[in-house]
Amino acid sequence: MTVQISHQQFELEAGGVVRAVARALPEPIRDHYVVIDGRRFPPKQVIALVTGLDRADFTTHQARRILRRLGFTAARRGAVRRPSPARSSRSAASAFAERLRPHIGEWVAIKDDDVLVAAPTPSDVLGWLARHDMRADSLFQVPDSEWSGGGAAPA
Amino acid sequence: MRFPFRHLPAVHGGELTPRPVVDVWLEGIAEVALGCLVDTGALRTRFSRELAVAAGIDLDDALGEQFAVGGQVVTGVPARVTLTLGTAANAHAWDAAVWFCDPWPFAFQLLGLDGFLRHFRVTVSAYREWIDCRPEA
Repeated sequence: MTVQISHQQFELEAGGVVRAVARALPEPIRDHYVVIDGRRFPPKQVIALVTGLDRADFTTHQARRILRRLGFTAARRGAVRRPSPARSSRSAASAFAERLRPHIGEWVAIKDDDVLVAAPTPSDVLGWLARHDMRADSLFQVPDSEWSGGGAAPA
Repeated sequence: MRFPFRHLPAVHGGELTPRPVVDVWLEGIAEVALGCLVDTGALRTRFSRELAVAAGIDLDDALGEQFAVGGQVVTGVPARVTLTLGTAANAHAWDAAVWFCDPWPFAFQLLGLDGFLRHFRVTVSAYREWIDCRPEA
């Protein structure tokens, strides 16, 4: 797909976008995000990575529109209504588990039941939080088996 | 302080068995609390050594010991650290012996008898999926 951004033309395709962000850690989501390979990215971060443009050269709206045309899901933080814990703690807990699913095997920082950042090591997650001056509620690895999510007893 | 069990996805769909995980703050790491499994059968509290490095905790390797878990040999080195459960008015801090281990094969840090269970009266309802931790007087 050919797109024009800041008076320049780019040939973009979904696979190229996935590859471009594969090794990038998503930056903090303020409002809008797109979902790429199960991870949420700010739209401007993605377009900047793919095109090399400065983020001041385009708007979030432009970036979001382009990524949607490429087939990626775009949404706003907090736009999905969740059942209140008092009414349905079980379904809320299961919905939380589903949000963790794309991150099985990764270390995640959780804030308000959302995945703030996911990375291969706890140090990566801690570094990301420090760089962005953010705090989170919980750091753990999403286990890839009952065993790895278990304990060491009777050690 | 009561905490709901943590629900986790299973690789091939569905969920793993929900488990008692509480978030504990480790001195030196201000950005995030650590998800810790309350491991009622474990004698010791064990964390990943990577976290000691991140927290700037000095470890004396001369005190290290090795133990086997899941067919893997892990080296643990002890340190006395301050841990905190909860936040703000509900927070409770205590001095704990934690064994920092490398490699770390677990998804959660592990809270055992020494370092955690001696400091709290713990009630677990696996049926209702909560764990309640009250500091011992």
